[in-house]
Amino acid sequence: MISRRRLLAASAGATLASPAIFGLNAVAQIRRGDELVVGIWGGAQERITRQHIVRPLEEKYGVKINYVLGGTPERRARAYQERGRPSFDLIYLNIFESRQAVRDGVTQAPAIDRVPNAKNLYESAKLGGYGVAFNPVTVVYDKRKGEVTSWKDLWKPEWKGRIAWPSYPGAQGTAALLMVAKLFGGSERAIDPGFAKIRELKPFAAIQGSQDQLYTMFDQGVADISIEFGSFTRSYAESRNPNIAVANPVEGQVIATNVACPTVGTKNQALVEAFVDLHLSEACQMQYARDIYYSPTVSGLNIPADLAPKLVMGADVNKLVDFDWDYTISQQAAWTSRFNREIAG
Amino acid sequence: MNTLRQKLAGAALAVPATLWLLIAFAAPMAIVLLLAVQESPDPFAPISLTPSFAQFAAILGDSYYLGTIASTILLGLGVTLAAATLGYPLALWLARLPAQWRPYAFGIVLIPLLTNVVVRSLGIVLLLSPDGLVNGLLSPLGLGRPQGWLFTHFAVGLALTQVFLPFMVLALYDSLVQADKRLDEAAASLGASRIRRFFAVTLPLSLPGLRAGLTIVFLLASTAYVSATILGGKKVWVAGMIVWQEALTNLNAPTAAAMAVIMLVWGIAFAVLAERVARALTPWLQKAGAKPVALELPPELARKLVALGDTAGGIVARVLLGLAIFLLIFPLALVVVQSFNDVPQASVAGFRAFTFKWYAAAFDASTYLRDTQNSLELAAISMLIALSLALPAAFALVRAEFPGKGAVAAFWMLPLALPHVAIAVGMLRLLQWFIAIPPFWGLVMVHVVVILPFCISMLRTSVLQLDRSLEEAASSLGATRGLVFVTTILPNLAPGLTVAGILAFLISFGEVTVTSFLTTARMQTLPVRIYAEASFSLEPTVHAISALTIVGTVALLAIVNRFVKLDRVWAR
Repeated sequence: MISRRRLLAASAGATLASPAIFGLNAVAQIRRGDELVVGIWGGAQERITRQHIVRPLEEKYGVKINYVLGGTPERRARAYQERGRPSFDLIYLNIFESRQAVRDGVTQAPAIDRVPNAKNLYESAKLGGYGVAFNPVTVVYDKRKGEVTSWKDLWKPEWKGRIAWPSYPGAQGTAALLMVAKLFGGSERAIDPGFAKIRELKPFAAIQGSQDQLYTMFDQGVADISIEFGSFTRSYAESRNPNIAVANPVEGQVIATNVACPTVGTKNQALVEAFVDLHLSEACQMQYARDIYYSPTVSGLNIPADLAPKLVMGADVNKLVDFDWDYTISQQAAWTSRFNREIAG
Repeated sequence: MNTLRQKLAGAALAVPATLWLLIAFAAPMAIVLLLAVQESPDPFAPISLTPSFAQFAAILGDSYYLGTIASTILLGLGVTLAAATLGYPLALWLARLPAQWRPYAFGIVLIPLLTNVVVRSLGIVLLLSPDGLVNGLLSPLGLGRPQGWLFTHFAVGLALTQVFLPFMVLALYDSLVQADKRLDEAAASLGASRIRRFFAVTLPLSLPGLRAGLTIVFLLASTAYVSATILGGKKVWVAGMIVWQEALTNLNAPTAAAMAVIMLVWGIAFAVLAERVARALTPWLQKAGAKPVALELPPELARKLVALGDTAGGIVARVLLGLAIFLLIFPLALVVVQSFNDVPQASVAGFRAFTFKWYAAAFDASTYLRDTQNSLELAAISMLIALSLALPAAFALVRAEFPGKGAVAAFWMLPLALPHVAIAVGMLRLLQWFIAIPPFWGLVMVHVVVILPFCISMLRTSVLQLDRSLEEAASSLGATRGLVFVTTILPNLAPGLTVAGILAFLISFGEVTVTSFLTTARMQTLPVRIYAEASFSLEPTVHAISALTIVGTVALLAIVNRFVKLDRVWAR
């Protein structure tokens, strides 16, 4: 139900905006035959978004939505190359890349008033584009070998030599580095304690570069503990390896977000926003939560009681540990170089 | 006058391949060179035309980078040596197999190329993990490693050997099939033992093929980065990973480009060296009647070595052959088991329950099927174009003399020596022009660039070993040049063309590094889809596709073998 106030506001907005609309026909309206190009991950994410976004939009407006599947680095590199004259209308990025892309003029800052479902976004999901899923990073471990209630448990003797440290850069490796620095008296701007304490954990059983790689390591007994997205690790534990637990450390989990980022210069502004709106719809958010335990970025959803404890919602969202991602990304090259030499080597 | 005409004709043969590379490769290559001499790493900085060597200075003045470069080159050399050691007995076995079995043997050799890299890597993980097969065999001997063998240079080397072994075998195959069997028989009738015949007849005659194989494998192994990323677990660093990381995660194209140029330099150095050594060792190919190089050993030592070789040689060769075949077909077992396995992700090792659902998913028209069709068409057309460019190029290299031949030959090999990530970085800068081309033909353009060096390198060996007396005989009987080509040259090149074609097709069919930057919404290939899914979580549909591809390839080879024998005309 659309409230009366919102209807009024919307019509007032439309009246005010109408002179501009005449000049920006392509931008403001969805026309039959329009084609949208979306850069997104494959697998479950492709499946869910095709079902809840692509099909309804194509049926409703007679448009065509094309996906370019791939990893984040490729589409990011491409979007940077095509700044201002993009071949993508919408790309999906991770938390820090999205904010940097807005700053670099590659993607747009969110326009909350033009995307109805965005008004329920948590504040932390309104940066660098539209956050579409929370996917916090935490400690994951083999519960037969020990228990983890704090990030500092990583330094306990039972994990010595059994840690698969996440590679840097990358959402998990970045979260791990920043969190360790913070725990031991440092911060984004004083990263040395982070590197020093991680060095203490050496030798590592492995450095893991992706969730799939980590799960194989767990399966094969290569490592017992790591730092990873809690969401998908939970479905891994349930479907494949019941010995693995997702910790909820007292210091909190580190925020990580999948962000929908409309490109600067897209010729399909209205269609892009309709796409994002459906991604934030209850049906789509619920499907993500059910299938891969990605937590919703909009508040006020009716989450079933059996699902709720496995997600991060409500007040817990504000407890997620956040960092200065702009500064973090500015240091990425230097930290990568340090990580390769001091940690991975 | 006549020589001028000959020179012009020779140069004309070199034109098509050169022209293609000038259009589709020279531009990205020039951009890589230009990027490498930029001072600022800022992705939006305008390209400066004043060269700066800051990037090179930074790389060459840094012991970490130097260490990575050294270990990459050593790894490349190790893999090349391993591929030659395992590939030679395999190629010999293949060449001596009865013709009707050959398609299936080819199938075995090609399995790693037909299997997705993620799937292959999982196989290596199973071999090398703490409870894996290698530890199981070595532990009783006291040589096991409790932490397993993963994430070591050994693991990366094994993975690279597995995937590049087919290139070595195929490069050797044509040389071995072509070798005149009468020479071996003559040596045998003079009382030479098997080991002496091997070192005095078989090996020298196969040197051109060996040179091609060594060059190709070294260039591929020293620029590869995917296997190192997966099996090195970021503990093993190779130069290709640095190019990738700088270009993509750090958006620092200049450092990436500079590293790529350094890789290019050592790649060319290796290729030139291999060429020189091969020429020195095969003087009879340059000048009729030249005496081969002979190793002079003290007679006593020589006798002992021959005796040792005769006793142990057969066993060693058989062990190596067994190892090579095991390494190649091991992923097959995994692929077949996994394609029927009812598990949530492809990386699960144990068998849970039987299912056909991954095959059903593979035939889902909206996704895999369309991408597979794209990939098949792309690979077929790219292969045909590459072969038709490579054939005249190979003749130009072997039979023609024209000014600048050396430079042209080196230029043709550049796409092989430049890491593919770097080609992608160069293409990225050209993206706005690139997307003006119809998507399919844009990809064909790039794929031909990627596969052309392989085709030229392999066909060159085949042309080099053509028996010219057959052509002379045909000419003396009054055949026109066209007729000689169709009736004499082509049939003799059939095995070489087939092998080069198979290789070209498979490389194009599996190419993902460059393609993933160039796919558009309307033109996506199968490997790009698989790669995209692996970026989240891979399902066993890829195994079903791999299994189908393997079956399809073997069937195709069997059909091909009925019409074009994978063999020399006169060898039958």
